[in-house]
Amino acid sequence: MAAVLRIENLKKSYRTGRKSPRREAIDGLNLQVDAGQILGLLGPNGAGKTTTLKSVLGLVNPDSGDIWLFGEQGINAKARKKIGFLPEQPYFELYLTPRKLLKYFGKLFGLQPSGIEARISHLLSLVGLTEEADLSLNRFSKGMLQRMGIAQALISEPEFLILDEPSSGLDPLGKVHIRGILEDLRQGGTTILISSHQLSEIEDICDAVAIIDRGRNVASGCLDELLLSEDRYEISLLEPALDLSAELPPSAKWVGEEKDRLSLRRVDLNDALKLIIDNGASIAGVREERLSLEEYFTNRVKGSSEGTEE
Amino acid sequence: MRLLGVFAWSVVEDAMHRKVFYIILALTVLMIFLIPLLPSAQVGVQLDLMREAALGLTTIMAFVLAIIMGGTSIARDAEQRTIYNIISKPVQRWQYYLGKFLGIMLVLVITLALIFIVIGVFVLAKFRVFDPGLAKALFTIFLEASILTSLTMMASVYLSPLVCVFVGILFYVVAHVKGGYLYDAMNNGNPIARIGAGFLYYILPNLERFNINETIAHGESVFRVGLLDLILLTLMAAAFTGIFLYLGIFLFSRRDL
Repeated sequence: MAAVLRIENLKKSYRTGRKSPRREAIDGLNLQVDAGQILGLLGPNGAGKTTTLKSVLGLVNPDSGDIWLFGEQGINAKARKKIGFLPEQPYFELYLTPRKLLKYFGKLFGLQPSGIEARISHLLSLVGLTEEADLSLNRFSKGMLQRMGIAQALISEPEFLILDEPSSGLDPLGKVHIRGILEDLRQGGTTILISSHQLSEIEDICDAVAIIDRGRNVASGCLDELLLSEDRYEISLLEPALDLSAELPPSAKWVGEEKDRLSLRRVDLNDALKLIIDNGASIAGVREERLSLEEYFTNRVKGSSEGTEE
Repeated sequence: MRLLGVFAWSVVEDAMHRKVFYIILALTVLMIFLIPLLPSAQVGVQLDLMREAALGLTTIMAFVLAIIMGGTSIARDAEQRTIYNIISKPVQRWQYYLGKFLGIMLVLVITLALIFIVIGVFVLAKFRVFDPGLAKALFTIFLEASILTSLTMMASVYLSPLVCVFVGILFYVVAHVKGGYLYDAMNNGNPIARIGAGFLYYILPNLERFNINETIAHGESVFRVGLLDLILLTLMAAAFTGIFLYLGIFLFSRRDL
């Protein structure tokens, strides 16, 4: 699959104060977003997520490394014409109305005046702001401004959408609404890169994730593969088997208080099944254990922090 | 060109939505109307005094607008982070920077044209004199303001708006006194002061050359400001403005946002 974005060995350091030493915001980052993919960029605060996005958009100048957009090296206006960007907590000139703001951004993309009005009406309807089209933005709530941010990111019908905390400031209904928009975009073939702290949101929307910590990529890949990669299985029993505990293999542990679900490593699976059957207990099912993204994320970031990452 | 126009017009629209713009304009017009009430205006050559005071007020207004708009236009976008929404679009940084500068120039042109109408009508109504010569003075005020705007814009790439205003004031004062004090300091005093004064003397434009208010106020009776003078002043302003714009764009293109 063709890569829409490819980052190789990207480095960027900042000086936080005049006399303070330079701090690596990005330290040899590698990342790839394939066409049609929705990739979640995750990381703790200060991991380098926003700096990475800014580097891709040409808002900061990396110290070294390469960025390819749509197969071409470097960031130029031609590539940016295909990109829509939602910054974290988007700010606008508040005296403008949504219609005027979108018209302004449409002009920056060189959209023809004849097509802009129809596009604006469609986008305002999409984000649920049709009735507020001619109100000035200083009357808008944080959530409404976020919707405007999403609308402006879509003004040029981008092939590649970069979203920094897209659900920030949105209420639960707003989050569901935006998720629906992203699903529709995915169906239409738009490639999306989302940076977010909302792990459940990422888990629901994204096909793949990249976890970065201290400017380095600590894990990346297809979400299903990553979350199943911990080599653990879960055996469900028809009734609790209280007398098994003493003989269970070392990796096995009961899930919950009921003692009717057993979690264990793959190497211990056969021994455990044999033990259960020999003891006359009934097996309801065996399945691969899938971690939540939160568990996976925590494990990886902790591992990275403790220097146990291979 | 199209994007320069988009950015320039956004600056004009922005100015039209800012109270400070109207306050500065209204204060200038009000003070022009109050000039005849000055005690000194009751005697002597009233027309000359009227013109000189009005042009002096216009100079101050243009200076304030140039420094405030030049020093805050980009800095405010960066501070409020609206710049992320702009630079991430298919635009070049120089287009944004130059568009902003042209927008400020457009605001100055509109403002000075309004002031020209106000002074012209006022002089015509009070003294029955139509004075197109005022346009020459307003043109040189505009030229000086373009240099100040380009300088404060350049400073605003890395400095805070308040510091930019201070830099603008300092530049204005030093560049106005360079013909007198700096020239004297360059030829007298201790060696370090002479080197410093000499450096500033040769590197800064002599803004006093743009001050033709007095000549125009006296109806060009002593000196006449000809077309050649205006062309030379335009070239001088274009040279310094061009240098400051080039440096500003150079710095801005390297700045992390």
